Amino acid sequence: MKKTIISLVAATGLSVAASGAMAAGTLNIYNWGDYTSPEMIKAFEEKYDIKVNVDDFDSMETMLAKVSEGASGYDIVVPGDATVKVMIDKGLLAKVQPNKMANFKNVDEKWVDVYWDQGRDYSIPYQWGTTSFTVDTDVYKGDINTLALMFDAPKELKGRINMLNDMGDVINAGLRYLGYERCNSNRAQMKELYELLVKAKADWRTMDYSIIEKLTSRDVDLSQGWNGASKRARKDRPTLSYAYPKEGFTGWMDNLAVLKEAPNMDNAKLFMNYMMTPKAAALASNFANYANGIKGTEKFMTADLNSSREIVIPAGAPAPEFVPPCDQSVTDLYTLVWTNLKK
Amino acid sequence: MADIKLLNPINIRKKDKSVDLKYQPGFSQIAWLCLIVLYAPIVVLVMFSFNANRSVTTWTEFSWDWYIKAWHNEGIQSAAFISFEVATISAVLATIMATMAALVTTRITPYWGMNSAITIINQPLMVPEIVTAVATLVFFAAIRKATGVTGIGYLIAAHTCFCIPFAYMPIKARLEGMNLNLEHAAADLYASPIQTFRRVTLPLLMPGIVSGAMLAFIVSIDDVVISLFVAGPGETTLPLFILGQIRRGVTPEVNAVATVFLIISVILVTFIFLFGKNKK
Repeated sequence: MKKTIISLVAATGLSVAASGAMAAGTLNIYNWGDYTSPEMIKAFEEKYDIKVNVDDFDSMETMLAKVSEGASGYDIVVPGDATVKVMIDKGLLAKVQPNKMANFKNVDEKWVDVYWDQGRDYSIPYQWGTTSFTVDTDVYKGDINTLALMFDAPKELKGRINMLNDMGDVINAGLRYLGYERCNSNRAQMKELYELLVKAKADWRTMDYSIIEKLTSRDVDLSQGWNGASKRARKDRPTLSYAYPKEGFTGWMDNLAVLKEAPNMDNAKLFMNYMMTPKAAALASNFANYANGIKGTEKFMTADLNSSREIVIPAGAPAPEFVPPCDQSVTDLYTLVWTNLKK
Repeated sequence: MADIKLLNPINIRKKDKSVDLKYQPGFSQIAWLCLIVLYAPIVVLVMFSFNANRSVTTWTEFSWDWYIKAWHNEGIQSAAFISFEVATISAVLATIMATMAALVTTRITPYWGMNSAITIINQPLMVPEIVTAVATLVFFAAIRKATGVTGIGYLIAAHTCFCIPFAYMPIKARLEGMNLNLEHAAADLYASPIQTFRRVTLPLLMPGIVSGAMLAFIVSIDDVVISLFVAGPGETTLPLFILGQIRRGVTPEVNAVATVFLIISVILVTFIFLFGKNKK
């Protein structure tokens, strides 16, 4: 027994040493789970002889918590649009100036002057998508492109609706339906919104993030959610259709950024430049099922991605709205509405 | 134990049906309900790991595809390896410390502060895991900043700490149940304390140590919250990998991995049970 314990300790000790003694070139990426194309990583590893570690986080909060403490060991993180702004303000990101890198010419102009990183001194586009809702067109045969389906549900959909368990997404959709401004601090309008949500909630079945499972299990016939998830759900339930409501819908973008304390700063910059090549961006999209912000990727992307209704916004639909983080006073008001709604 | 065996169980049943818990009204119904609530989700999870479809809710037909996919998934492979590595080292270290702690809290005359010592050893069982996790994150970040030392050692240290009470409990229980006369006899025959420990105490204690080590191993391999906060680059354990998949939709691949996990756990628990039973 004692011998086996000793040899076990020795063996595991050796393997620790082995995994610690990597080649000089490494790069540590921290991204959402199931969101990083292994093919894209492999191509980068082979091209630059750099060993890449990819770790997953399950929420922006987890990522921020670990990175804010410092010495996390990560080089590249993938924050959402609002989080990029938060991280720049907190001084967590390195000003690596991707706008001066060789491949920056490939970045689509409409993603350069964005509210979260004017002129792109810190971050580059990774994937972007929209948050709207998905309806089964066999169950509801009318026009789906209106938020009325969620807030004034027709009788076919009453009690068959799932909303995201997300304060911002639910409140923003409600404000759009009422025609009021986002980041709204007008108490009378917010009261009206609250009454709308309370009334609508009677027709909602659940408030949950697991939208693919909810839709494919036929637990609900309408679910608020992201376009890529809707596309995946449609594979199992072909009658589903993603709506582009005339009142408007949310756009979001996940961005690649380099941490200020990145241990492998040079490799991180190399990776950033690499991710602005159409080939790499297309590989990322093919895996994650979302659009990227790089020009000329179409020829490397799957035909399915280039044509699907969820990814390509149809002509006539409003442009997606990117909502910046609201002031603290507004957030407090939102929280009040949200906690009361969830009671 | 012995005197209970002398009574004829059938007589007890006949006489005392009214006081035996098993014959209270609703006992078996509630017991079955609990079993179903606990195990039905697991049965469903195992079932859908064999689904040919990529859905975890609509059944199509039987297939091994997800097991083959999971086996070839490099992310799962490396996560499984890291989980195994961390759990093995942590279980060994935790068991050594737990054994020493158990000896110190049973084999000597009670001393002032012994109960506090036991409480401190069992602290990870009582403090909410998220509190330990955040505290550890902040503490380790400070150490990393000060020393520049990085690596998987932090994760192993954190796991070792919360595994100690799980290893400690069965070892202490075993020590308390062991006949002290054997150790006294060894001492009477001029065995040194070290010899007594090696020749008498340790062999008798082995079943407790093995159960403790296996329990620690399972607890470590299961852990999510502390690992989530403490793991550094390239240290994704299997539970963290599974957690990361969830936002983008669970596929039966995750069910397949969970099923394999479940089988390993069941084998270990069965082994702990049999090992404990045989050596009594």
